[in-house]
Amino acid sequence: MPTPILQVKGLRTEFLTDGGIVRAVDDVTFDLYPGETLGIVGESGSGKSVTALSLLRLVPDPGRVVGGQVLFRNEDLLQISEDDIRQIRGRDIAMIFQDPQSSLNPVLKTGFQIDEAMLAHGTSMAEARARTIELLKKVRIPAAESRVKDFPHQLSGGMRQRAMIAMGLANTPSILIADEPTTALDVTVQAQILELLADLNRELGTAIVMITHNMGVVAGLCTRVIVMYAGQIVEEGPVEQIFDNPQHPYTWSLLKSIPRVDALRHERLRSIEGIAPDLLHPPKGCRFHPRCPFRVEKCFTDEPRLEEIAPNQKAACWVTMERARREMGADELVDISPGAGSGVRRGELR
Amino acid sequence: MAVAVRVDAVSEPVQATLWSDAWRRLRRNRLALAAAIYLILLVGVAILAIFYTPYRMSATGIAPDYAPPSLAHWLGADNLGRDQLSRLMIGAQVSLVVGVGTQLLVLAVGVPIGLLAGYYRGWLDQVVTFVINVFYGVPDLLVALILVFLLGPSLANIIIAIVVTRWMDMARLVRGQTLALREREFIEAGRASGAKPMKMLFGHIMPNALGPIIVQATFGVPSAILFEAFLSFLGAGVQQPTPSWGSMAKDGVDAIQFAPHMVIAPAIVLSLTLMAFNFLGDGLRDALDPRSRR
Repeated sequence: MPTPILQVKGLRTEFLTDGGIVRAVDDVTFDLYPGETLGIVGESGSGKSVTALSLLRLVPDPGRVVGGQVLFRNEDLLQISEDDIRQIRGRDIAMIFQDPQSSLNPVLKTGFQIDEAMLAHGTSMAEARARTIELLKKVRIPAAESRVKDFPHQLSGGMRQRAMIAMGLANTPSILIADEPTTALDVTVQAQILELLADLNRELGTAIVMITHNMGVVAGLCTRVIVMYAGQIVEEGPVEQIFDNPQHPYTWSLLKSIPRVDALRHERLRSIEGIAPDLLHPPKGCRFHPRCPFRVEKCFTDEPRLEEIAPNQKAACWVTMERARREMGADELVDISPGAGSGVRRGELR
Repeated sequence: MAVAVRVDAVSEPVQATLWSDAWRRLRRNRLALAAAIYLILLVGVAILAIFYTPYRMSATGIAPDYAPPSLAHWLGADNLGRDQLSRLMIGAQVSLVVGVGTQLLVLAVGVPIGLLAGYYRGWLDQVVTFVINVFYGVPDLLVALILVFLLGPSLANIIIAIVVTRWMDMARLVRGQTLALREREFIEAGRASGAKPMKMLFGHIMPNALGPIIVQATFGVPSAILFEAFLSFLGAGVQQPTPSWGSMAKDGVDAIQFAPHMVIAPAIVLSLTLMAFNFLGDGLRDALDPRSRR
């Protein structure tokens, strides 16, 4: 096993709101290896974006990283000075955002903004401009030489995202964090951007952390995946393994909710019943239990830990899908309403 | 079958930038354009007055006291027999220096304060907001008069006095703009790319607020000119023999019964100038406002 380039240990991020403390990221631990593509998936509000922002200490007010370590080159990014973390941002760890429309400064020329990413880290003006054009070519923007002088609004959505990626790659970072980079784009452009990211990962060896709610994006780009629910990691493992054999019922439900062209006609697309939990008052026990079709009594009271349940695969679940299939007939299951297969109803426990 | 597309054959679109767009719209606004032409002429006159005036503005008795307009003295003479036109030209210098000078200082003070308060918020913002409110609470004419009397009535001190009483509008505007802009995603993206705080403030936030800042500064010029004229009218402005439109108007008011030309000329020029700046400000606001953009 190679040594990880980034180690996140017990990361906790809280938001102090009027109603109380919202624990948006709760004890998140994972490793990132050089050159790998790691997907972080989850619903809105699962804490995946906040996790990414926490790594670079970019959590907006009133959020605060309250615990844990982010180890990068033997340094804890959460402890180093503001000046030092600024040096790392954009140079070693770059980030691209969801909406390329609003992530580019509307009044500055696109090329100049890419130059700036390099100027901030000590590259000279002339060098930066030459490299900007080279980068724009690399992200396959046609007529790069003239496009550098364009303002963001003169570019199409896909081109803007390409420009953002060029900006992210400007200092050849070892890690690129992509926060839902394809969500605001239409499907054909999405595919092109994913392909571009995959190529760049191959050519430059940049490790990519792909944050998305889209399992399809993960399947297309990533080698390893982390599934987050309500601020915690619920499952982690290699992509094929997770797709073939998910062990957490939440992952299973996510996969069931992907529309498939090869699905049988009578198979209905399943949505996950219920709503994501209120993080001000997270459910006791397993946080997924109110929505879980396979919950057992233990799920109401005890919080499951993330444990290795197959080679390289971890899940935080008392039941796991293997057991659900064996004992609760999960595969033949028609009713997937909360608690359906388990025989446990919330009322019975009270 | 592959179809080769020649990328370089695609013709380049006509560049339409924020500023060229604004300029196009400003040109269509006749009133603003007329105002701009008037102001350019006024600046020309003020510059001309450095090298040439028909008579020396401080020379007394070159015409009979209170002489009405004539071919030799187009705008007549004042109570000391000084040429009115020459004094009006020098007065234009005073007004423009005061108007533009105060706004430059207001920009230098208000913009950084607004940017810092809006960007960092917290205690800094609370202090700035408090100070702004205190300054709004104090009667500006009184403060300006006291300052001028304390510092002495020179042109520089008058400018300082006006800045002290008029910097808050700019600071408040920039603070508000910054508060809105700091939540935009490109600010987050800029921070994520490792930009320094000062770069964020002056390189990313300020350029986005430049439209409102320019409009505010344009409206501030006539307000400062009027303030100076008022101070001069009260005798606390630029001192004799240097003329100001305000002090000329005061001399004219004293003689309004028998020499009305003395008050009419400075009053008209002052009004025209104030109007021109306001029309130009209006035109700029319409031209730079993204909501009215087509």
